[in-house]
Amino acid sequence: MDNKTQPATNREHQSKWTLRNIILIALIAIFTGIIFWGAGFLYTALTVVLTPIGAAPFANDLLMGLWCMAGPLTGFVVRTFGSAFVGEFLGAAVEVFLGGQWGAGAFISGLVQGIGSELGFAFTGYKRYDWVGLNASIFTTVVVTFAWDMIKNGYNKFGIPLLLALFVTRYISTFIFGGVLTKMIVRLLDRSNAFSL
Amino acid sequence: MTDVLIDHFTYEYPGSTVKVLNDVDVTFKHNHFSLLTGPSGSGKSTLLYFIAGLYPHFIGNDALGGIKFGDTDIKQIPSNEISHSVAMMFQNPNQQFAMDTVIHELTFVLENMLVEPAKMDGIINHALAFCGIKQLRSRVINTLSGGEKQRVALACIVAMDPPVIVLDEPFASIDPDSRLDLIKKLKQLQVEHGKTIILADHDLNDYKGVIDEFYYLDPDTHHISLLDSQSAQHFFDNFKNTQTINKQVAIPTEAAPSIINIKDFKLQPHHSLLLKLGDFKFCKEKTTLITGANGIGKSTLFNALTKLLPYDGEIDFAGKNIQKIRPLPYAKNVTLLFQDAENQFLNITVKEELDLSLKNRTNQAYSIDDVQTMLKELSIDGRDDQVVYSLSEGQKKKLQIIEMLIMNPPVLLMDEPFKGLDYHSLEVVVGFLNRSKQEFHQTQIIISHQLSGLDTLIDYHANFADQNLTYQEVIK
Amino acid sequence: MNPGLKLLLVMAIALEISFTQSLIVNVILICVSFIYILFNRVTFKALIGLIFWPLFPALGLFVSQWLYGSAGIHFAWILFTRIYAYVFLGATFTLTSSITDLALTLEQDFRLPSKFAYGVLAAFNLMPKINEEVQIIKTSALMRGEALHFWSPKLYFKAILSSIQWSQNLAEAMTSHGFVEDQGRTHYRVIKITAMDWVWFIGLFGIVQVLLFFIRY
Repeated sequence: MDNKTQPATNREHQSKWTLRNIILIALIAIFTGIIFWGAGFLYTALTVVLTPIGAAPFANDLLMGLWCMAGPLTGFVVRTFGSAFVGEFLGAAVEVFLGGQWGAGAFISGLVQGIGSELGFAFTGYKRYDWVGLNASIFTTVVVTFAWDMIKNGYNKFGIPLLLALFVTRYISTFIFGGVLTKMIVRLLDRSNAFSL
Repeated sequence: MTDVLIDHFTYEYPGSTVKVLNDVDVTFKHNHFSLLTGPSGSGKSTLLYFIAGLYPHFIGNDALGGIKFGDTDIKQIPSNEISHSVAMMFQNPNQQFAMDTVIHELTFVLENMLVEPAKMDGIINHALAFCGIKQLRSRVINTLSGGEKQRVALACIVAMDPPVIVLDEPFASIDPDSRLDLIKKLKQLQVEHGKTIILADHDLNDYKGVIDEFYYLDPDTHHISLLDSQSAQHFFDNFKNTQTINKQVAIPTEAAPSIINIKDFKLQPHHSLLLKLGDFKFCKEKTTLITGANGIGKSTLFNALTKLLPYDGEIDFAGKNIQKIRPLPYAKNVTLLFQDAENQFLNITVKEELDLSLKNRTNQAYSIDDVQTMLKELSIDGRDDQVVYSLSEGQKKKLQIIEMLIMNPPVLLMDEPFKGLDYHSLEVVVGFLNRSKQEFHQTQIIISHQLSGLDTLIDYHANFADQNLTYQEVIK
Repeated sequence: MNPGLKLLLVMAIALEISFTQSLIVNVILICVSFIYILFNRVTFKALIGLIFWPLFPALGLFVSQWLYGSAGIHFAWILFTRIYAYVFLGATFTLTSSITDLALTLEQDFRLPSKFAYGVLAAFNLMPKINEEVQIIKTSALMRGEALHFWSPKLYFKAILSSIQWSQNLAEAMTSHGFVEDQGRTHYRVIKITAMDWVWFIGLFGIVQVLLFFIRY
């Protein structure tokens, strides 16, 4: 540990695009990207199991919350316009550079997920860093990403019941990872005073 | 003339009432090599960060008093010109470069300083040559050793060419040859290029005869005083004493029961060989001290023993190849006390941390009363609800030691466990460790530079040198 | 080709084929990208990975569309090839461009503020260290008797604490290396977008438009 004391304690929350915050957002995005990378086998395994019954899209929707975690996290840590978008996009970019199975698709997904995540914070005016703000972000994330998958992954050609099931699955996943898990992480950070950056 | 004047300088951390620097009033003289020492955590770094112009920008609250370079108040220097006045070298070699390769970092530095591109090649060649690292020019920084990284950091400073150079414990994790070489280079910068050098270090090796002034930051008064040559000598002697004990130890016999066996072992991260062992054992229920120079690979060996790093060959624990033991059981059997206490923490408050250890310990060796007694003996009792990250470095270390003792792993590896502890606490901890070994049959392997006070603990001594680890009878 | 323009082109085409439905254009994009990659010294192992791993999502989408989709097998094939088109398009960028060059051109040609270009670049350059740090966090938790998984809040908590500390260290180090936010810099290596870059960009993008216009199958 460095000799100097953590400069984090008890300071007014900065919400600016400083060099430090940019690096912070990028680091969090890379950390989450690497952690998901370790969970990548899960997607492949789920797909293998679900493909024979034609239910492979559920793998996508089950894990959607995980892939959309960098946004809410960076949005909460650096409370300013654009931080959730940049965090989510960079998180996706990490997957591309690690050699993920989505290639350029991950860039686009990152853009879409980033917009979804950011919109929620925008709707609450970057003022509600609580359940309201988080739920707004979850809602916009689910709606935006689902709309995107209607086009990109051909969900629009599915029947209503299947669509509904996929939507609900995605909502639950996003609620658990982007909501409950994010909230638990934020609470730990709060209690350790790490937030007074 | 650029004397660095510290004028009635007083600072306390945000939210704290302790003045970490209290009315500091000193002048670091132009073209002198000043050494600033004092226990870790005493505020040396804080002062250097202010001199380098990084604080208050990066910490949020300002200090009372002022800092001047000659006649110029540091606050009057615009932010884009400060690096023409002062440059800094940091303690952690890993997080001080923005770019991927050495040459890219050097050009990054010069671009920041608005140097004309046409002049850059000359400056860079000179800086690399001065630091003796022309061969590192195109290397990826992540693959360099700690010593090489600090040489690159110095090359950046040489390229920047500011009159004042501050260094914050720059040699904490580098090998002795690099250390000696860098100290010589700094002296050369002072003598031949007229630089003012201010260096903070608590390790006093190699400075005698090099430095011009010796400053001491007293951890109790938070004052800095300039020592006369007699007091300085006293400090040098004292430091030597902490690094020696007079003890003869046995060399483990063939018959001595072992718990960890290493066979046909090679450790070579980034393809540079650190350690090669044909056959080596650590003895059961004994305390083995590993000594050796900084940056030579001692901690890296611990990383191999804890499966954090790949290696060639085989390591057996209790007769079984560690690669065949599942991660959780292995980690609870062969546990590392990390050098950085924060690495060990998983919870928020002191009580939560202790409760976690009580919940997950391998056996019930320590009673609740024992834990309370230990906390009291190290005077960190009654802090149940304090956030662990807000403890002082010394308190963190004490808590970390207690919670890992409660876990009571059969093998406890300790990486510089006494760093940041005062001498009394060290004696108390040595008592704890002896109890763990004698009553609870723990095997202990310790990396430590601090040797005085460990006489009663150490059973065997292995020296790490020349890519080899060998048992020795004397400890020095 | 200029890495910034290349990224833009790749993303634009990827975006476009998400909306369009031409099997043949997808296949053409895959083939052209594949050939481009082959000409750029790619390892055999990487190539196999590129072909193997996307098989799972591609097959998954194919089967579900085939079974439950209303648009028939042709559309299922479009989705299948679309996944591969994304992957090979992406690879033409990631396998042939350096992140450093991308940061340089984004700063010099795309007017991205230098604090973004170099801040993100500095973080990316720590990637191997971040990998190690994740291992350290997991191992040290095991030593306390807890296994951390991707659903464990503490794993992210510790990762963010490290991020906070590291971002502070890096920002301080860059500042002490003379970097000042929103200030001018000189450029040792000037990366320009050449006329040739524009010709390629517009040409390739134009060809894709023509193909998409004429080839509707």
